[in-house]
Amino acid sequence: MLAILIGMLTILTWHFTRVYTTKSINSLAYGLRYELLQRPILRMWNILNSTVEITMAQVKLSEYVIRRYDKPMAQTAKGEVYEVMRDVTWALFASRKALNAITISYRNGFVQAFHRDHRSNNTFYIYSDFANTSLTATRKSVSSHGGWNDQSLDDNVSAIWYREPLDPVTGKTTGNSKKIPPDDLIDIAGLSEVADGTASWHVTVSKYTNSPLLSAALPVWDSPNESIVAVVGVTTALYSVGQLMKELVDFHSGFMYLTSQEGYVLATSTNAPLLRNLSSGPKLMMAVDSEDHMIRLGARWLKRTYDDKFNPRNEIHAENVRLGKHQYYIDSFFLNLKRLPLVGVIIIPRSYVMGKVDQRAFTTLVILISASVCILVVGCVCILILTSGVSKEMKLRAELISHLDARRRAEASSNFKSQFLANMSHELRTPMAAVLGLLDILICDDCLSNEQYATVTQIRKCSTALLRLLNNILDLSKVESGKLVLEEAEFDLGRELEGLVDMFSVQCINHNVETVLDFSDDMPKLVLGDSARVVQIFANLISNSMKFTSSGHIILRGWCESSNTGTYTNKFPLDQKEPRSAVKAKSNQHGNHGKKTTKKDNKIVIWFEVDDSGCGIDASKWESVFESFEQADPSTTRTHGGTGLGLCIVRTLVNQMNGEIKVVKKDGPGTLMQLYLVLNTPVDALRQNDQVLFAEHNLTVLLSLNGTKGRSIMSCWLRKNGVQTFEASEWNELTQILQEILQGRNTIAKSSFKMQCSAIESSKAGEIEIGNLAAEFIIIVDIGLLDSSTNIWKEQLKFLEKYLGKAKFAWILNHDTNNAIKLELRRKGHSMVVNKPLYKAKMVQILEAVINERSLELHKNGLSTIQDNLHDSLEIPFNYDAASSEESDTSDGRGFNSISAFHVEPKLVERIMSPQSSRFNEVNNSLVELSVRPTSQNLPLKMVSSDRKEQNHVESCKVGPMKNSLEGLRILLAEDTPVLQKVATIMLEKLGAMVSAVGDGLQAVEALKYMSTAEEGRRRKLPMRDDETISPTHFHELPAFDLILMDCQVGKSLSFDASREMPKMDGYEATKAIRRFEEGTESHIPIVALTAHAMSSDEAKCLEVGMDAYLTKPIDCKLMLSTILVLTKRVL
Amino acid sequence: MDLTQMQRRLVDYTSSLFREGYLDDQFTQLQQLQDESNPDFVFEVVTLFFEDSQRLINELGEALDQQNVDFKKVDAHVHQLKGSSSSIGAQRVKNVCVIFRNYCEERNTERCMRCLQQLKHENSLVKTKLETLFRLQQQILTAGGSIPMWSE
Repeated sequence: MLAILIGMLTILTWHFTRVYTTKSINSLAYGLRYELLQRPILRMWNILNSTVEITMAQVKLSEYVIRRYDKPMAQTAKGEVYEVMRDVTWALFASRKALNAITISYRNGFVQAFHRDHRSNNTFYIYSDFANTSLTATRKSVSSHGGWNDQSLDDNVSAIWYREPLDPVTGKTTGNSKKIPPDDLIDIAGLSEVADGTASWHVTVSKYTNSPLLSAALPVWDSPNESIVAVVGVTTALYSVGQLMKELVDFHSGFMYLTSQEGYVLATSTNAPLLRNLSSGPKLMMAVDSEDHMIRLGARWLKRTYDDKFNPRNEIHAENVRLGKHQYYIDSFFLNLKRLPLVGVIIIPRSYVMGKVDQRAFTTLVILISASVCILVVGCVCILILTSGVSKEMKLRAELISHLDARRRAEASSNFKSQFLANMSHELRTPMAAVLGLLDILICDDCLSNEQYATVTQIRKCSTALLRLLNNILDLSKVESGKLVLEEAEFDLGRELEGLVDMFSVQCINHNVETVLDFSDDMPKLVLGDSARVVQIFANLISNSMKFTSSGHIILRGWCESSNTGTYTNKFPLDQKEPRSAVKAKSNQHGNHGKKTTKKDNKIVIWFEVDDSGCGIDASKWESVFESFEQADPSTTRTHGGTGLGLCIVRTLVNQMNGEIKVVKKDGPGTLMQLYLVLNTPVDALRQNDQVLFAEHNLTVLLSLNGTKGRSIMSCWLRKNGVQTFEASEWNELTQILQEILQGRNTIAKSSFKMQCSAIESSKAGEIEIGNLAAEFIIIVDIGLLDSSTNIWKEQLKFLEKYLGKAKFAWILNHDTNNAIKLELRRKGHSMVVNKPLYKAKMVQILEAVINERSLELHKNGLSTIQDNLHDSLEIPFNYDAASSEESDTSDGRGFNSISAFHVEPKLVERIMSPQSSRFNEVNNSLVELSVRPTSQNLPLKMVSSDRKEQNHVESCKVGPMKNSLEGLRILLAEDTPVLQKVATIMLEKLGAMVSAVGDGLQAVEALKYMSTAEEGRRRKLPMRDDETISPTHFHELPAFDLILMDCQVGKSLSFDASREMPKMDGYEATKAIRRFEEGTESHIPIVALTAHAMSSDEAKCLEVGMDAYLTKPIDCKLMLSTILVLTKRVL
Repeated sequence: MDLTQMQRRLVDYTSSLFREGYLDDQFTQLQQLQDESNPDFVFEVVTLFFEDSQRLINELGEALDQQNVDFKKVDAHVHQLKGSSSSIGAQRVKNVCVIFRNYCEERNTERCMRCLQQLKHENSLVKTKLETLFRLQQQILTAGGSIPMWSE
């Protein structure tokens, strides 16, 4: 299109420039040609005119002379006449140089003529002999009437002619006359030519000139008798016309010629001969035969073109005639002379007129064409560039599309993956549930020693961790797909991490690595967040450190960077009321499932450090270790194992919690990971201050621990809290200090405190002592200090026995501590035993236990009996361990502040009643119980009831004794699969519950409505399934259900069954309906979902519609039991 | 047959069922639930299951025979079967159900048909196995012995 446009534009431009120029030039050229031709014609005309004038003049003169001499007419006179005539004629002849000849032929045959030979520039006088004149005169009379005929002339031939050369200027005879043959030289006009008496014209040729001659003849009349006496002829050469033409053509170029009407060439602008020499004499040539090439061609063209209708009278103007190789303009003009019409032809080469124009037009055309070609090329290039850009874009787009496609496919495959994981997690959960269940059974076993029990508990903890890991695999796929949603639940951060460290310390001890937990006191106790994820973060970090640390220590530090420090860092004075109410509030809160938890923003930034003394990470890898599948040193994979995913998950999780993690430079070997998390804290949690002012109790602690780090951190902390500390790292040091202090103490030597105590503290100690409140001395001994390889440890124990009365001993055991040692310890009455590692919470417990014991001593004044019982009660740390990681959010192990003074006693009573129950009390260590117990101290009845509940807990974990643990509970089971219905019913009934089973959601809703509306005992038959186990009496007896077990899919599959008309509801809808129904009333019936899906998205959906808990199929008996108990507890 | 021998045979047979994956722990739990108050509990449940599974398999067969298979319906049936089979511990039936559901999601009729065949096969297999088991138990009971609990 563009090309065509450009081409058209070019052609148009060219056309207009050319056409207008051509037109104007053409008109100019026409004028020029006309002018050019006109001039020779005018010249011709002039020549003709002058010839005529001369002739006329000659005639008039002749007439005059002849008339004058007519009368005498004598012979002599005649001669005189001729003389006069000769002179007159000469005068005329001389005056006209252009004349070729003047002839006078008299009637009597006498001829006079002047002739000018232009070639030789000679002038001749020619005359005839007198002798013959008479003869001819006689003859003339004969044929007087017949006029002059040719015959008479022919007769003249015999006459003798003479020629005299003349001086061209004067006319004098210069030479002798010669005889010449008549008519030899020139044409003498005879009478025959003027037969009609008028002037005649014709063109002649002569031997002596090479140009044609124009001759005119006029008769000389004898006036009286009206007869012709003589004929005058004038001959003019046309040579000058040719000369003019030549000049013109020289100036203007081109060719010109004149022809007669018949086509004989009269004059040309060339030098080509005009005459043809034939044997009969020279003859005029036809223009078509001209020797000049151009003239011949032009003439031929004219003849060819206008052959038939060639009318010389028509002027012809032909343009662009191709003659030979060039183009010419040919124009002809017609000159109509009487008797001698002439045709002039001019041939002008086109290049002369139009040459410049043509050239200009040509160059214009060339320029235009080249310009258009250029434009075309440029346009093409532009288009090419444009299209290449476009094609590039298209390519990119195509690539993008393919990428999108690939992404979609990848997403699909990731979808498959998560599907797979969902199925797998289901498969994996089942055996894990079995393992956990079996462990529960084992724990319930009576014949376990404490150590075995601890081991089993540890196994259970590990299994729980494994199960958690499985769940994490599920979550990892969620993290990858960016769908991870963090929970926002209240949890005890310290408790969680202590549990974690406990778990890891088992592995840690094997490695000869010390695990230390170092949290600053300002750490908030309760935080809102996703406990599982937080634990996951630290589990990964610690296990990582563990992997790469072969000896030394792993320290987990934590401190708080609080945004509202003001309220927080204040150390509350110990207030008896405040903590208690706080605890109660908390239990309440827990019961209502976070209903009261204010969502007020209380963000705190908690910093953590995981510091190990392992092989460390090269500084260049500090960033890349957080990538997937990356280990600092690939060669370590074989020795340490691992996928390299751990830190990646950690970073993702930390980032999700608005935190950051990085590796920090540290002095000495090892790695220092620093991270911070932004967590919410519940508002009221800030008020909880569990700090016990140990300073009041005047305690002194001797820390004899193996691990340097742990020991120094612990002693630092203790001193900060007003507890005097001594440190010993080995046995000898221990004995030395013991001897120094305890023996010195007996003599009340203040100087013995010189080592660690400040002056104020020591003076205070002194005061207290005086006030009959002996300072408590606690010795914490790491079992590793004893030499267990030989039997020396027995000696060592014996040595320590001496101090048993003076100080309290607390033992720190390893997991692999020899049983014999343990037995020995127990035998000797060392009842305060905790597992490694020793961290703050455990320390607090030890101290509290000591304080409590002392207060008990004071209270009862019976030290000896208590000592026995302490054996059990002081195993709190053990049990606490077991419980910590499982029920972190329900139990509050550090709730033993001053209230805990009362704590011990009920426990003792419990112990008496059921020796093994306290453990389970601790397993299900809930705040409800803790807060109830102190009040029940003086109310034995209530205490029994609380024990009864605990009994339930105990039984719940065993297959045998767990019977009737659900006694009195009324459970509505909505389950459509008959098999499941049956199984679940039996399970629940075995547990003592009363079960009503319905087939779908609608029935469940109706049953519930019926129950709540028709409590008077109206019996109504509900539409139930054939196999439903509900008995009418149940309806009668029970006012309402305590709990509903709801299959999520219930009724859904049945709704396809066309035979059933009733519209069904699935579990979700039924739950919604029930919740709607409950609106406005106080009641809230717990609903537990049953589903075969293990994905937590289902869980989310369940909770969303208003269900309270979630169980996966196949039903795990214990899990179901514990869930039901938790949910029904608050209803009861 | 000697009573102890019969008892041993029963134990062997039961453990072989577990070993070969016909049954899993869920069945053990069922057995534990059975006691004097409902001595035929396991038998009842299993019978219920086979009634249910037979019905479901028949419905599945019908559903898959249709011109336009309603996979939602098929999926619901398979889901139900999966729930009940996992409840009695018929592990292999359950596994087939899991695979079946995957094909259901793919809407692959041909594979679903194959799964249905497999399902029928597994179902009848576990049925005969359990029938044998119950027969053995019955023999022991009639001989006056007690049924030994299988435990690992």
